[in-house]
Amino acid sequence: MEQLLTPKKLIARVTLALAVLAAVMFICSLIGTETVSLKAVFTGPGTQAAPNPDFEIMGFRLSRIILAGLVGAALACAGVVFQVLLRNPLADPYILGISSGAGLGAIIAVISGFNWTLWGRSPIAIFAFAGALGTVWLVWFIGRLTGKFHVTGLLLAGVVVNAFFSAMMMFLTSIAKSDQVYATIFWLMGNMMEGDFLVLWIGAGCVVGGIVALFFISPQLNALSFGADDARSMGVNVARTRTIAFGIAAGITAVAVSLSGLIGFVGLVVPHGVRLVFGPDHRQLIPLSGITGAIFLVIADTLARIIVAPAQLPVGVVTAIVGGPFFLILLVKYSKKVSWLK
Amino acid sequence: MNKWWWLLLIISCWMAAGAAMFGPRQDRDSSGAPLPDRVDSIVSLAPNITEILFAIGLGDEIAGVTLDSDYPPDAAEKPKVGTFWQPDIEAVVAARPDLIITLGFEQQKNLAERLRRIGYNSLTVNIEKVSDLFDAIERIGAATGRQQLANELISRIRTKLQQLASLVDAGPKVRVLWVVQREPLRVAGRDTFVNEMIELAGGENAIGPTVHKYPPIGSEQVIACNADVIIESAMSREDIENQRNRALQHWNKFKYLPAVANRRVWRYGLTAWTAAIRGDRDDCQMFKAPSFRELKQWNNC
Repeated sequence: MEQLLTPKKLIARVTLALAVLAAVMFICSLIGTETVSLKAVFTGPGTQAAPNPDFEIMGFRLSRIILAGLVGAALACAGVVFQVLLRNPLADPYILGISSGAGLGAIIAVISGFNWTLWGRSPIAIFAFAGALGTVWLVWFIGRLTGKFHVTGLLLAGVVVNAFFSAMMMFLTSIAKSDQVYATIFWLMGNMMEGDFLVLWIGAGCVVGGIVALFFISPQLNALSFGADDARSMGVNVARTRTIAFGIAAGITAVAVSLSGLIGFVGLVVPHGVRLVFGPDHRQLIPLSGITGAIFLVIADTLARIIVAPAQLPVGVVTAIVGGPFFLILLVKYSKKVSWLK
Repeated sequence: MNKWWWLLLIISCWMAAGAAMFGPRQDRDSSGAPLPDRVDSIVSLAPNITEILFAIGLGDEIAGVTLDSDYPPDAAEKPKVGTFWQPDIEAVVAARPDLIITLGFEQQKNLAERLRRIGYNSLTVNIEKVSDLFDAIERIGAATGRQQLANELISRIRTKLQQLASLVDAGPKVRVLWVVQREPLRVAGRDTFVNEMIELAGGENAIGPTVHKYPPIGSEQVIACNADVIIESAMSREDIENQRNRALQHWNKFKYLPAVANRRVWRYGLTAWTAAIRGDRDDCQMFKAPSFRELKQWNNC
């Protein structure tokens, strides 16, 4: 018989997962194209005349690892929320057209040739963020026209907006210069570029704050997973919960997209993997998916950095190649525990 | 105060702390270090930049090049710092450069900006036209203290270009269709480096002005352009004659096109043209003719 989730058990699991994340981040910080001495790193940045390269390399590497962790956590948690809100196991953070909106924003920024930065982020990141949020608002608005949070309406609006923006992207790509096309393609494949610490700090605030907010509404999400009518009969304000969850999930996805481009698979596979192993209770599904997503993307990005070094692979390629077989193993091993697979 | 207000307050404090800790410092550091009197260590992030550096006598000072830098042959022996499209920032830092020279597209611009913030010097040049090339050589020469050699290189190239131009006869211009890829068919438009090369060799682009730099075209436009010569960009290192035979087979479906009827279908890489400009013809065996006049002669052989 399945044991109930107690606060003690939840804290123990989250603490253990955080410890694994810390260990993975530490190990990955020692792996890279250049050999870095930890002893040299701890001697500090050095002087202007004699800077410490080990310190600088570790700074770049750590910022990239933290970035991967934040993006992985954001996408995994957003995936959990979209799967329960849309009651669709195939839902991922990009299902409502966020990817094409962000991609369109990115290619507009590239073609415009803007040459400024905001908080250390290039115009691509800013336009991608705006494109992602604009698309979510548009899909939400169209979805509302079909009824108060009508799932089919939302999905259809997402499909249509996605197709329209994808067509716009293809048109702009076709008239872009070759270097602009390449810049966009690399961004679309997932662009894990070492970020400034200010950007990471702000990104961390948005992503961790969003995940904590999702954790606050996890009991209501549990009720929603039985359907809107059942949730209502349990006293849940369905419309309010859906609006909050949708807004936060879209927001953290937009932040992730603006930080790293489009990275597929994390938001689909990690929530399912955690659900298969630990069960569908959102009180633990949200924090554990976030941490597992972070671990998964940190490992995937480390592999992307080193497999063909000093060249780099797009991290989206690694997430699919590593994540696919891993997810299948989990699926086969735990499928008997999951009712919808029987 | 309920948990939501607490969360909002904590996030606000977090953002404010981040702005206080990291914001102003980034701005202070963004100017990069002052350029040293003598540049001893340079990282080049593009093959054409590497070639310029070697040409102005800075081969020994190069501390890192991209994987695709293979000219002159010594460039291939230099430490690698990632690819042209995705440079590896760790490898760039490990090379301890006094100066990092990049091109102006997104990935390289971002990397240069990041390194400038922590005190590295970077120089960004754009080379999209022949005139840009002279400007780039001049700026690289100025940044590395090799103005004299840079000026000499510029005048050598100008002389070579004039020599090539003098080979072109005054007769009707040869209409050239430069094919970038066959499926889907894309060709070089007017506002491209390729177009400059075509005109330099006494030809004219068979494709008129287009919205796209490298427009996709259909069979109708191929027939309508009435090209005298078709040149395909050769990207692979496979034997050029084999490539040309396959190209002839492919274009046979347009048998009424002058280029196909007269078997004037060729495969060249842009390196062929640059080899001609450098003057090291022996280095580039696939280059058969520096101008379309000679191309016609070659065709008649």
